[in-house]
Amino acid sequence: MIERHLLKLRARSQVSAEEENAIRETIAEIRSYPADQTVIRAGERLHSSMLLLDGLMCRYKDLSEGQRQITELHVAGDFADLHSFTLKRLDHNVMTLTPCQIGIVPHINLQRITEQFPHLTRLYWFTTNMDAAIHREWEVSLGRRTAASRIAALFCELRVRLGVVGMTDGDSYQLRLTQTDLAECVGLTSIHVNRTLKELRERSLVEFRSGRVRILDWEGLTEVAEFDPAYLYLDPIPL
Amino acid sequence: MPRFYLHIRNGSGYAEDPEGQDLSDLSAARSAAIDGVRSLLSEEARHGELDLGGSIEIANEDGNILLIVPFSDAINLRRSPR
Repeated sequence: MIERHLLKLRARSQVSAEEENAIRETIAEIRSYPADQTVIRAGERLHSSMLLLDGLMCRYKDLSEGQRQITELHVAGDFADLHSFTLKRLDHNVMTLTPCQIGIVPHINLQRITEQFPHLTRLYWFTTNMDAAIHREWEVSLGRRTAASRIAALFCELRVRLGVVGMTDGDSYQLRLTQTDLAECVGLTSIHVNRTLKELRERSLVEFRSGRVRILDWEGLTEVAEFDPAYLYLDPIPL
Repeated sequence: MPRFYLHIRNGSGYAEDPEGQDLSDLSAARSAAIDGVRSLLSEEARHGELDLGGSIEIANEDGNILLIVPFSDAINLRRSPR
């Protein structure tokens, strides 16, 4: 149930059996949500955080005239809003992009973790810092990268993040997003994404078809993306 | 909402829209096409080369082309100072 979450944590620091048990006990219930459902609205008072067990979610903001910017994608094993533990109200919405299984973690339970498990608390602090690192990388993409480079960077990031939680199959992974979802991640239009995917395919770098990403040339793709996985902090950290 | 497919035809060839988008009517589909063209052209402008010869073919679910939107419909080009 929380195996992917444990894989994500253990890639960075040891998690003891006692800590693992404490994590399991923080989950008050598990809920299933359909795709495309907003599960947290900006501004609402929150009393729990959401641990994504299976599926894809995103943080997003809406502008007028239906313009939407997705600011981060969440894969299985991520807390979608661990930061709501300290913020209590979010400045963005959170939605499901595919059907999702979500563990509901009451803030009172997280408080108990902070009081009884200092190492685990530091590890969770690390994960919110990593979310901030991902935001910085997306900021660079949106501000400076070309369309091809933005999409390449996103596919590289997801390959690494999904790899950590055991959800890649060699150079390929499932990504049940539409071109519109992708466009909302990279600040382009669906038409522009379509044309750019064609370009990446014709350059034999990556294919995205029927909800699956197939990387044809990892080195070439990382070059186009200027992708350096350092921002994903993949090595164990002394916490 | 009906589904519209926005295929791209330009100097770099033909890019079929495999998914389509749910849009309220043909006028909304045309707006999406115009937005898409502006997005494509803005990228081209960054590289200093604009291909205005392309078009977006808007098709329905049966594959019938309902409207062709030339790239040139998406912008007003001014060459001399007002």
